[in-house]
Amino acid sequence: MLSHAATRPRYGRTLHVALRAAPTSLEPVQSLSAVAPELTELLFDKLIILDSQGRSIAQLATSWHAEQGNRRWQFAIRSGVTFHDGVPLTPDAVASALRAANPSWQVSASDDSVLIVSDAALNTLPAELSLPRNAISRHDVAAKPVGTGPFRVSHFQSARKLALAANDDYWNARPYLDSVEIELGANPRDQLIALELGKADLVDIAPEQIRRATSDGRRVVKSAPLDLLALVFTRERRSSEEGRLREALSYSLDRPSMRNALLQGEGEVARGILPGWLSGYEFLFPAKLDLARAQQLKSGLKATSLTLGYNSNDPLGRLLADRIALNARDSGIAIQVTSSSEVDLRLMRIPLVSLDPRLALRGAALATGTAAPGFAGSSVEQLYQSERVLLDTQRVIPLLHLPRAQAIGTGVRNWRRSEDGVLRLDDVWLATEKP
Amino acid sequence: MSFRKKLLMVFALTVFFAVAIVSLVVSSMARRAFQQADDERTAALVAQFRSEFNRRGADVTRRIESIASSDAVTRMALSLSNNAPDYGAYLNEAKSIADSQQLDFLEFTDSQGTIISSAQSPARFGYKEPAIATVPAGLFLKKEELSDSVAIGMFATKTVRVSDKPLYVIGGRRLDPGFLASLELPAGMRVLLYQNIESVFTPKALSVSSGTLASPEKISTLIEKAQRTGQETTEIIHWTTDPADDERLLAIPLRGQSNESLGVLLVGSSRRTYVDLERRIRSAALLVGGAGIIVAILLSGWIASRVTRPVERLASAARQVAEGNWDTQVQATSSDELGELADSFNRMTRELVEQKEQLVQTERVAAWRELARRLAHELKNPLFPLQLTVENLLRARQQSPELFEEIFRESSATLLAEISNLKAIISRFSEFSKMPQPQFQLVNLNESARAVARLFQAQFQTRERGSIECNLELDDQIPEVPADPDLLHRAISNLVLNAMDAMPDGGHLTIRTGHDAHSVSIEVADTGTGLTPEECERLFTPYYTSKQHGTGLGLAIVQSVVSDHAGKITAESTPGHGTTFRIRLPLKRELPPRTIQTSGMFRQIS
Repeated sequence: MLSHAATRPRYGRTLHVALRAAPTSLEPVQSLSAVAPELTELLFDKLIILDSQGRSIAQLATSWHAEQGNRRWQFAIRSGVTFHDGVPLTPDAVASALRAANPSWQVSASDDSVLIVSDAALNTLPAELSLPRNAISRHDVAAKPVGTGPFRVSHFQSARKLALAANDDYWNARPYLDSVEIELGANPRDQLIALELGKADLVDIAPEQIRRATSDGRRVVKSAPLDLLALVFTRERRSSEEGRLREALSYSLDRPSMRNALLQGEGEVARGILPGWLSGYEFLFPAKLDLARAQQLKSGLKATSLTLGYNSNDPLGRLLADRIALNARDSGIAIQVTSSSEVDLRLMRIPLVSLDPRLALRGAALATGTAAPGFAGSSVEQLYQSERVLLDTQRVIPLLHLPRAQAIGTGVRNWRRSEDGVLRLDDVWLATEKP
Repeated sequence: MSFRKKLLMVFALTVFFAVAIVSLVVSSMARRAFQQADDERTAALVAQFRSEFNRRGADVTRRIESIASSDAVTRMALSLSNNAPDYGAYLNEAKSIADSQQLDFLEFTDSQGTIISSAQSPARFGYKEPAIATVPAGLFLKKEELSDSVAIGMFATKTVRVSDKPLYVIGGRRLDPGFLASLELPAGMRVLLYQNIESVFTPKALSVSSGTLASPEKISTLIEKAQRTGQETTEIIHWTTDPADDERLLAIPLRGQSNESLGVLLVGSSRRTYVDLERRIRSAALLVGGAGIIVAILLSGWIASRVTRPVERLASAARQVAEGNWDTQVQATSSDELGELADSFNRMTRELVEQKEQLVQTERVAAWRELARRLAHELKNPLFPLQLTVENLLRARQQSPELFEEIFRESSATLLAEISNLKAIISRFSEFSKMPQPQFQLVNLNESARAVARLFQAQFQTRERGSIECNLELDDQIPEVPADPDLLHRAISNLVLNAMDAMPDGGHLTIRTGHDAHSVSIEVADTGTGLTPEECERLFTPYYTSKQHGTGLGLAIVQSVVSDHAGKITAESTPGHGTTFRIRLPLKRELPPRTIQTSGMFRQIS
């Protein structure tokens, strides 16, 4: 009897969340998708979402088909869906939202469907529609963005606090939770204290905190290694000497030590831009520590000093940068670590924007300032070649792939592991009694 | 310069030099004493700093020992003795322990010197600490390379042995501005740290415990000297032109484990206290000295006036005596030499007055005698013919009555002539006694001279024995002078008459006028017989004459007129070559003193 009561979902209560992200706007196109993409599915729906395998799942689109070599796509829109302000979802609203997010597309609406036409083949369109920026939204009478997601906004304080209430009319069943209160911009230490004190049910934790949190007996859920930690040169390679210096630097780096010590064993050593579990071919790229090779490449170079910038808001950033500088010094490369913006290379955390490897590679290329690779087809070989070309530009030196993790309180039930790190709370419920 | 001023100057200079010499001596001695006190104070401050520095070192050692004996480090040593190091597990261990122990540096290394955990460079795990092999026991200084800088630290080590694999704990405090500021230093002291960052002096390598250094290059020489010699060196640094900003710096070279130069610690002792004290004393000395000099000058003035006042009175009295106030007396206020001098002066003036009165009396008697002689002489001449005429009449009446009528007529005429002569003599004496007071008005001496020349022109040419040639040499620029024209005409006439009498055989008479800035003059010169020096001395004595038929009143009248005009008359004569009388009258006339005639002498009365 007790066991049954403990496992049966309950409606009600408020879930308290503390996140490091601090969005200043809830516009899915402009801000939210870039600053806090994990929040988009709480407020907004998309036509299609991807499952953990990268397969398309219908959401606001009930069906779709492509014509003319993937240059013409038609999506049937789900009926009976309303926005949070009670306005029904229509193909026109969907078309309007997609046009705002993708100015290059020709989007039109018919009675019950939306037509997307492009001069070039849109081979990855279903995956692209699953990106946070393509969440379907409109503006209410107060010019605030409203969506059709499982929760609606009840209060928003820019970069400080977001209060959500359950969308009673949600097309995919009302969430168990009555409301969600999210503290934005919380620092990791305060988040863990709030979790310890029971003031938060769900908090972000950094990868290097996972080991300690786990050893302290906390419930930690983490995604697959999604984000790429990499050294990104701020400009193109100008000479072969620069190429040799960059290659020497890559051979100098002791990535396993960084993973084992600095990241407390979390994440994976990165050989390529995409994680191996997503691409399947990452092992083909070299990433060995080879000081002899590094010193050989470095010998004879005139300029062997670099400045390395890091994000001073990232506690791990300085530590990683110092370690990189120490590794580089072993091969005779002098790296000056600085938090200023005028640097030769930068330590960057590049998020995985999609579970679709092509979109993920394109997103990484855009994030590093290199040209987006083209895809002749959808085969793994073609994807590998694209990534190979991207790495050969020597703009990026992959270091590690890091997971996203959250520590959750003991009262949180029915938590689903999210491969892409997006918060999905529509099935989560809170136990009445906290153990 | 007056005697009083001289005396005052002598007194003032004496006092000034005495005060200056005393001030110099006192200032020199005070400076030497302060210098010695400053040296001792600096030495005490440096000793206090060394004590504080050593105390901090002991504190570091104690903290390292405390860390080494902690449970966490023991567990770490146990874990490392059995397993390969898990750097991730100890990544923040050193940092958290260092923070709790307030240490800037803390590292744990294994027996091979591999860094297990580092507080100052957490990313250095797995790297070797090269210094661990040469780390001495106890406290030592070491240069620590950080990720973005180089620092000097005060280190201590402790070995933790729980198995055959030791764990080294090495930690310390950074010698930086924060460390320098945390030192409990005495007032007026500060500490500077120079770190050997570059081969040449660079100001950015200098840290100060308090305040700022406006001109750090001023201590570059001291730093370089301390580094070069390896010896402690002291120098006084003049930061500004104000000596109060001077600072005595003791440069202590800092050496590492291999005796390499790590930097220089500079212990600064402000000289402001010493300079302020010296200034206060100097100001007080100047104030007291200045006040002393002023008081001394005032006292000198008072004393000089006390000393010179009798002398001045004597001098004034002497001037009055010189002006004719022979009865001037000086009040004697003391019984010293000046008092005796005043008594002597009074006695002298009294005797002068007495002698003068005696002389006047004598001269009066002589004048009466001369008057009697002259009267007798003058009256005897007409009386003798009168007597003879009367006797002749009596004889004629008795002896020749028929001729009596004729003789009576002739005798009567003779009697009348002689009686007339007697009346003339009496008239001249009467005239001398009735000299009028002058009525002043502006007079041109040239006109007076011309008038007299015109008056006597006929007599010059009609003389029985020889003619006189009269020459007028007149000054055309002569200014007018306040005078009585009638009396002046009379005086000049008398001089001309005298000259004519002096030239019985004729000659040249010259009347000459002239002037200078203060007076005008008129000269009457003749080419007559001249006068002897004895005659010159008595020339202006009334009733004295060198002539056969003179009354002796002519020149006396002239002198009286000149005296009434506040002028002077002088006579120059050479026997056989003539005589020149010169009358000089002042241009600015003061009221002539009222004069009374007393037996031919003029006495000025006030």
